[in-house]
Amino acid sequence: MSGSVAAWRSRGKPVAVALTVVLLLVMLFPFFVMITTMLRTSQEVYVSPPRWIPHIVTFRNFAIVWSQYQLLGYFKSSLVIGVGSTILNLLLSIPAAYAIARLRFAGRQLFLYLFLVVQMFSPVVVVISLFKTFSKLGLLDTYSGLVIINAVFTMAFSVWLLSGYFRSIPVEIEEAAFIDGATRSQTVIRIILPISAPGLVTTAIYTFISAWNEFLFALSFIQTQSKMPLTLGLYRFVGRWSSQWELLATADFLAIIPVLVLFYVIQQRLVAGLAGGAVKG
Amino acid sequence: MADSLTAPKQRFLAPEARLAYLLLLPAVVVLVGFMIYPLVYVVLMSLSTTNRLGWLTHFAGLKNFLAVLGDGNFWRVTGRSLIWTALAVFVKMSLGMVIALLLNVEFPGRKVAHMLFIAPWASSVPISVLLWSWVYTPEFGLLNHTLRMLGLTGNPPVWLGYPISAFIAAIWVDIWIGVPFMALVFLAGMKSIPEDQYESAHIDGVNAVQKFAFITLPGIRHLVLVATLLSALWTFNDFNVIWILTAGGPVDTTDILITSIYKYAFVYLKFDQASVMAVVTFLILTGISAVYAKFYFAGERRS
Repeated sequence: MSGSVAAWRSRGKPVAVALTVVLLLVMLFPFFVMITTMLRTSQEVYVSPPRWIPHIVTFRNFAIVWSQYQLLGYFKSSLVIGVGSTILNLLLSIPAAYAIARLRFAGRQLFLYLFLVVQMFSPVVVVISLFKTFSKLGLLDTYSGLVIINAVFTMAFSVWLLSGYFRSIPVEIEEAAFIDGATRSQTVIRIILPISAPGLVTTAIYTFISAWNEFLFALSFIQTQSKMPLTLGLYRFVGRWSSQWELLATADFLAIIPVLVLFYVIQQRLVAGLAGGAVKG
Repeated sequence: MADSLTAPKQRFLAPEARLAYLLLLPAVVVLVGFMIYPLVYVVLMSLSTTNRLGWLTHFAGLKNFLAVLGDGNFWRVTGRSLIWTALAVFVKMSLGMVIALLLNVEFPGRKVAHMLFIAPWASSVPISVLLWSWVYTPEFGLLNHTLRMLGLTGNPPVWLGYPISAFIAAIWVDIWIGVPFMALVFLAGMKSIPEDQYESAHIDGVNAVQKFAFITLPGIRHLVLVATLLSALWTFNDFNVIWILTAGGPVDTTDILITSIYKYAFVYLKFDQASVMAVVTFLILTGISAVYAKFYFAGERRS
């Protein structure tokens, strides 16, 4: 019997490794295409039959997208919208999360439920009337509009994540500070927030990534080229200069890298936050 | 000591509640202003006649609903949404389960494989979809070239050119994005199953398939449920993949409810019909998320 286990170990493992490699090749194929495309000249993009690996490797596309295609402008917009949304999101969600985690009041459970369900809200459902609200408030075609709407649509999840963190801090620490004469706001600023730093970082990164990747609201509300974030800018890029795929692949690469790096920092805690108590982050 | 702590708490109960509402106020104000109010307005739109700017002109009762529900296109799009969701979630679960099982085996390079499997989820969805539109390009794209070279098919389709192949192409991109989340959740669940359960199963001479069916699956059942519901919500709601890849084409044959709403509103400027579809979508999504919330809280209590 232990023989069969050993047999499985020796026979099963190579099978597992082989299957893993095959699945990885399938899942990473688009990234392979991106890298091999961005490193070739346009002549080598349009050869039939295509080549997996270009004969001549070039980095010229980086200079082209940077200087000729306003990529810097799109980056700037994405950065402004991302940072703005993150700050606004934290300003709104930290107090709300603290209230839900620490204070006793009627309707606490109701608020908790509200924040969980609102997470699932479909942007498309409201975008058709938000357009009108935005035009009334003068938020169409502005960074502020996207900052607000991204902060709002990520807020529920932030409240959810942060209240979990706040709750995991022992009440005794706070009570000890109260006895020493600290006010509630002092306790929050000097004790709760520093202890929840990992939670704050996760929340901030998650919000930033969501805003960076947002497409629907930008598509609906932004008209001016210079205000377009990367997602919208590159989408229009395909429409306008279609068939310059080596440039698009290069721009894609540059646009993905920042969020890819940030995502790896938070992925484990993100899974725990989304799937609930059974997963420990 | 205990008295001195509980006594002031009793006394401060009312101010504590007041503070709580004060802290929740800003969050609730923006939620109401930018989510609830627009939603209510969509409901009003669905019950009114609207002009091409989406302004309400007069009350129309259920006229819009009857018009939309009597339209064959609405049912086609709704049906496609359901097929899209069911099929994509099923494949995401199956593939996610396989990847989780693989990553649960000890082998050199497992950590690297883990990191690499996450890449589609970590990357920006709209940007990835743009990339896929190049991958699917028939003549110069590398997908068809690769399929030919591997001998999988001598005559690969013009993926985005025909209704069925475009739908398959789009659903695969949605699956590709969603698989890593499934795999990670399942893997986290598998890791939380105590090792001794497997060890005693070893001693009882249980084989690998039986272990999966009688230990692993029951152990992660609750997580599978939560992840499935969440994935169903995301999949049903997926606007980016279809809009960027096919824009619902060729000739609206890959539209699902969510892209149809957008198209009716911002392309056809039929806001009344768009809002009816939005209300239907909202009801479907609320149903799924209520179930999700129920199971999420059940999990919180269990742990």
